[in-house]
Order: sequence, then C-alpha cells, then structure tokens
Amino acid sequence: MKIAVDAMGGDYAPAEIIKGIEQARDAYPDIEFLVFGQEDQVKPLIQNDTRITLVPASEVITMEDEPVRAIRRKKQSSIVLAATAVKEGQADAFFSAGNSGAVLAAGLLIVGRIKGIDRPGLTTTLPVLRKPDQSSFVMLDVGANADTKPFNVVQYAVMGQYYAQSVMHVDHPRVGLLNNGTEADKGDKAHQAIYQALSGINDLNFIGNVESRELLNGAADVVVTDGFTGNATLKAIEGTALSMLKLIKGEIMSGGLGGKIGASMLKPVFKNVQQAMDYSQYGGAVLLGLKAPVVKTHGSSKAPTIKNTIGQIHELIQTESAAKLVSYFDQHTDEMAALKESLK
Amino acid sequence: MTRTEIFDQVADIIADHFEVERDGINEQLNFKQDLDADSIDFVEFVLELEDTFGSEISDEDAEKLNTIGEVVDYIVAHQAEQK
Repeated sequence: MKIAVDAMGGDYAPAEIIKGIEQARDAYPDIEFLVFGQEDQVKPLIQNDTRITLVPASEVITMEDEPVRAIRRKKQSSIVLAATAVKEGQADAFFSAGNSGAVLAAGLLIVGRIKGIDRPGLTTTLPVLRKPDQSSFVMLDVGANADTKPFNVVQYAVMGQYYAQSVMHVDHPRVGLLNNGTEADKGDKAHQAIYQALSGINDLNFIGNVESRELLNGAADVVVTDGFTGNATLKAIEGTALSMLKLIKGEIMSGGLGGKIGASMLKPVFKNVQQAMDYSQYGGAVLLGLKAPVVKTHGSSKAPTIKNTIGQIHELIQTESAAKLVSYFDQHTDEMAALKESLK
Repeated sequence: MTRTEIFDQVADIIADHFEVERDGINEQLNFKQDLDADSIDFVEFVLELEDTFGSEISDEDAEKLNTIGEVVDYIVAHQAEQK
C-alpha cells in the first residue's frame, strides 16, 4: 500500500514528519511512502530512503492561506499534489498535519466524495475512562461542516459505524446521537427528526440520545452530531481536561511541603492520568465519506504521533473501509433518497 | 465545440453531480433556487467544469454564475478567448 504524505504541514514540519515516516516505515513493512515537499528542505532529512519516494512540490500552503482559494491557486503545493496522487490512483491515502481547512478542502474537492454521501464528516477518536470493556469512542462531525443538515447526521451514523468496525474492531458499535437529554423527544425539531430517522435504519445499532457529560464514560461507541456542535464539544472536552490539570498543579504548588511530598508520591498516578487522556495515541482525525482515507493530525504533532497516525491509516487501507462505504451507499440508494426526502 | 455540445456536457455534469433527471435540465435552471446548491456543491461543480473544459474559472467570475445558461455562455465566451 502507498500513502501520500504532505511533508510541509505542521508546526515541526518537515523534520518531525520525516522522522515519524521513517519510524512508521520500519514498523510497517508493507507501506510505501510518496512524500511531497520542497526538495532542498526535505531531502537532507531523509536518513534512509527505503520505500520513501520524495516528490518535489515547489509551493507550500501556510496556516494563513484561505483553504479553498489555496487549493485552487497553489497547484504545485505539497497538499494539492499529495491529494492529486490519491485521486489519480498513485496512492491509497492522503496524510497531512498542515492547514486543517486546506486539507479538508483538498479531501473534498480533489480526492472527492463517495457517490451517495452528501457531506464527509471529520471523525476523531477520544478516550473512554475507567471502563473495562471500552477504551475509546469515535465522534463525528467535529468540524468539517459549519452548516450541517439533518440528513448529513444520519449518514454520519452509517459512516461512523463502519469506521468503528474497521479501525476499533467493534462488531456491533452502539451509535448515539449527541443531544441535550436522553429521552426520544429531547432537542430541537432537527434532533427529533434525526432520532426518528436513525431509529428506522435496520442495520444500525442506534441506542438513542447521549449527553455530552457521559461521552468519556463510554455512553456510545459512535457519537454523531452536526459539525458546529461536534467542534464545540471537542474543544470543551480538551479545554476542561487542560484546566483540571492546571488546577491540580496550582493547588499542589501552593499546598506547602506536605502538598509537594504528596504529589511526588502520586507522580506515577498523574502519569497514568496523562496517558489515559492523550488521544494522539489513536492517530489523527479522518475525513470520512471520501473515496480514499484522508487523515489530518494536530499541527503540533511530533514523530511518535505521526507514526501512530500512519498505523491508523494502515488499518483504514487494510480493512478497505472506503470500499465498504462505497458498497453500502451503492446498495442503499433508494433508502437514502427516501430518508433525504423525509428530512427536508 | 458548439454551444449545444457545451450545454449537453454541462447538463450531464449537473445530472450526475446534483442527482437530478437529465431530461428536466434547461438553461433557466438556477443553482441555489432549483438545485438547492450550497457553496460546497457549487465549488465542486466549478472544479468539475474546469476539469472537463480545461480552463480556469476565477472565483470572481464563478460568483456571477447563477443559471446553467450563464455557465454555458461563460464557457462559450472563454473558448472564443482561447482561440
């Protein structure tokens, strides 16, 4: 399998990207990499070019570039060339740590949607804490679309189910709709309509509404929501976790000698907490619903996260997750058309 | 390429992209009002036009295209410019 990599995107690019790619190359003997970037910067960083082909890209899309405009204008950029390689069948997946909007736009506009899927959904994996039989869950859309229609959320449920089966290896993932209460009549009219639509899909294990406070307790394996709410929820989770750590640290520092001695004894515990909350171990965010996997990691990613993300992409390609979605939506065109009509 | 040929190709793209009946497509069809196209649908469509007709449509020009007839006119005019 071949993965097209944007070497120029991310806070530590291209050095950490190349380092991560080399680690992944050593860990996965069946992956070949097409690395797109500025030759003079990238070439000296490659220690061993086994299964790594550098493809020169003279332009770079920066964090400041307006996404769609950049995709249309900077045709020689690493993002556009890498996505084009996937479109043309030279690579099986596209990976970047660069400008999120541009990566999403390249995925949508260059790699392209699966026929029958109206909008792709950005999918992230988050930890489940202290539950013996579940360590993580997926949530989508976490921000690919600002204006989501109810029908899009219904399609996210099917896409999320396939993702959980392929990558998390959950046979019958429990799919929940993020809402402001668990009862069926909760939420606005759109959420009530989505609830009804999801209840009617036969091969979906829809368990009803879930509340945001229960997410990290493992309320569902797949949580679906609109892009605006998903993004706000994701940031609230991240922000709360960071603020809690800050609060604990502040209390220890101002707690005198006793506090510090207590904290030093609890050091391994804090380390475990940090490890449990570190969701970079699950890789990057996947733009689901495209003809091939498009994966974006955090801009601050370093080599270990890059390697983890390549592992996740390996799983996505190996389990033929995109092909499974193509065949589902191909076989359910009438059902989807009826659902779309009913949700208008 | 004649105007009719261009219209036929544009109509094929519309039918496929917006999942509408090919026979019902006419020059007066409006993207926002009749096809319920949002900005993403429209950018996808513009890129497909560029791929098909091999010429670039600037963002400023694309914003002015509201109906299928206007798209066909634009491609005809642009084709003439290229010659």
